[in-house]
Amino acid sequence: MNAPIAAYEGILGSSVVTQLRRLGGKLRGIRVVHVNSTREGGGVAEILDWMTFLMCDLGLDASWEVIHGTQRFFEITKAIHNGLQGKPVTLSKKDWRIYQDVNEQNAENLRASLEAADIVVIHDPQPAYLLKLCPNRKGKWIWRGHIDFSRPFGPVWKMIRSYVEKYDASIFSMSEFAQPLPHPQFLIPPSIDPLSEKNRDIDPAELETVRAEYRLDPERPLLVQVSRFDRFKDPVGVIRAYRMVRKVAPVQLVLAGGGATDDPEGKAVVEEVLEEADKDPDIHVLLLPPDAHKTINALQRLSDIVLQKSTREGFGLTVTEGMWKGKPVIGGDVGGIRLQVVNHHTGFLVNTPEGAAHRIRYLLHHRNRIKEMGEVAREFVRENFLLTRHLRDYLTLFLTIRSGRNERILYV
Amino acid sequence: MPHARGETAEYEGKEDGQLTPFVIQDCSLLIRMSGLLPAADLRELRDRIAACSENVLFHHFFETLLRPTFDNPDYRNDFAVWAKLYLDDRVLAERLGILDPYSYASLKELRNVVLGLIDERLKELTLVPRARPGDEFFFQEATTVVFDTGERIRHPRELAPAIRGMTNGSIYYHFLEARRRSPAGMDDFSSWLMGDGKKYERHVHALASIDLLFHSLGHLRADLLRALSNMESLG
Repeated sequence: MNAPIAAYEGILGSSVVTQLRRLGGKLRGIRVVHVNSTREGGGVAEILDWMTFLMCDLGLDASWEVIHGTQRFFEITKAIHNGLQGKPVTLSKKDWRIYQDVNEQNAENLRASLEAADIVVIHDPQPAYLLKLCPNRKGKWIWRGHIDFSRPFGPVWKMIRSYVEKYDASIFSMSEFAQPLPHPQFLIPPSIDPLSEKNRDIDPAELETVRAEYRLDPERPLLVQVSRFDRFKDPVGVIRAYRMVRKVAPVQLVLAGGGATDDPEGKAVVEEVLEEADKDPDIHVLLLPPDAHKTINALQRLSDIVLQKSTREGFGLTVTEGMWKGKPVIGGDVGGIRLQVVNHHTGFLVNTPEGAAHRIRYLLHHRNRIKEMGEVAREFVRENFLLTRHLRDYLTLFLTIRSGRNERILYV
Repeated sequence: MPHARGETAEYEGKEDGQLTPFVIQDCSLLIRMSGLLPAADLRELRDRIAACSENVLFHHFFETLLRPTFDNPDYRNDFAVWAKLYLDDRVLAERLGILDPYSYASLKELRNVVLGLIDERLKELTLVPRARPGDEFFFQEATTVVFDTGERIRHPRELAPAIRGMTNGSIYYHFLEARRRSPAGMDDFSSWLMGDGKKYERHVHALASIDLLFHSLGHLRADLLRALSNMESLG
């Protein structure tokens, strides 16, 4: 259940909401269509859920479409995803043909809506080919890349580039991910919804219920990493860091995540994680359904330290979530985690399991720093990574791109 | 005093013996890549700064406040932060970090000072400091989208309460961004108050005395309110 824009005044103040209403007023009635490849699971689906709702609440005519594909299509797009994040992958001509065919099948259903829209935002590579299939489009088309494109595998980027270069603009989460393209590349970090099931305040009794359900010891420190089971999230590295800490401190570890419908690799990664965990009773590997938002919220709140030891990361919304709950985060020194984790202020950036273990031990020895960093982290998120800022950036982009002007100051 | 839109504060409908109403604008920053290649070492940084547009320079010195970044307590401009964190050159970071961009008459002058500091540093070093792959300096620029809030301030005694309720975007636009629009380099609040002769001279002086170097917009709002204290009682 999404909250209307007025509900955010209590957290962010009325001026922030007023600003959004003013921007929305300038765009009243324009038709906006977002397209991605999964309705649930992962940060993009969560963002589109609230963003579409709030754009409508502000007066835009916004909708969210999801493309459908076969198991083989999602295996191919997962390989594309991995390739764009730098992993060498092999994709045959037939694979690319399947990718195009699935886009063509989806275009049959979506074409009328997409061609009529004032703004179309295509999220990630899966539906990127749709632009080519909508020759009579009247609006502006924007491609939004959510992942870490800093070192893409050349052959995969070359093909995806040939699809996205035709767009009117693209959006990346940070400058390090932007690639040379013949159109403006805007920088918009993502955000979290503080009133969603995953981030809202939770009654202490509910926290204790979750603690009991997963048999977590309230007397011992808890480390939590929440993310889908993906090798780039390095869950095995987290277990190795835990083992180094465990030699000197009685910590518990939760690795919690689910799968997304567009990620067929998760099962194999879970097996690797279980093997590494080796039935240690203090390592809790939790396979959660996509709607387990309240459980994830509770686990993050029950933690002493949040981990996100990714080796590649688009932005790392689980970092944002942990920080919003007042936790210091020990995160991989990559991607969007760098935008959020500031050494000694909101957590620590690390490059190895050893580095993670060192910082965990530091925080466990300086418990006051856990609280101090957690408070700074929460305020940092309040100022920068809540959905109101994200929504404002999108509305500002729509105003700019519709104006067709490229001036330093644009009066609307 | 210039009143043209985009040049300085916006006033409308002056009545005899009264200040014209102050038009409260709001703004939002849309950041984009500049198109310049990233700089991987100090020499490349120098060459890109020499060649970049004034909008790029403006962004990395002035617009950092409106961007989602950590309120870095050390340095306010991106070049100093990069020198410290990624070139590991703390000497250069300190020299760049102390630059107050508002103290220069033009961006051209600011650019020359920055280039001078980097050239000086390059002469001192035997090796050109280089960032790791992935840690390059990425040049950005921004469009400031400005829109009328519909709100007006009709008397100086209303100024402080209005600032208390303004968005960060309004404060940025009227107090910081205005300095680039105004030929005199003056903020919009001061320009407006000076329209009433010397009556608010003390407050204008207090506004001019605010040290901008370490301010987040939240802190700046508090300083503005301090500078304008007692104005409500002047009638």
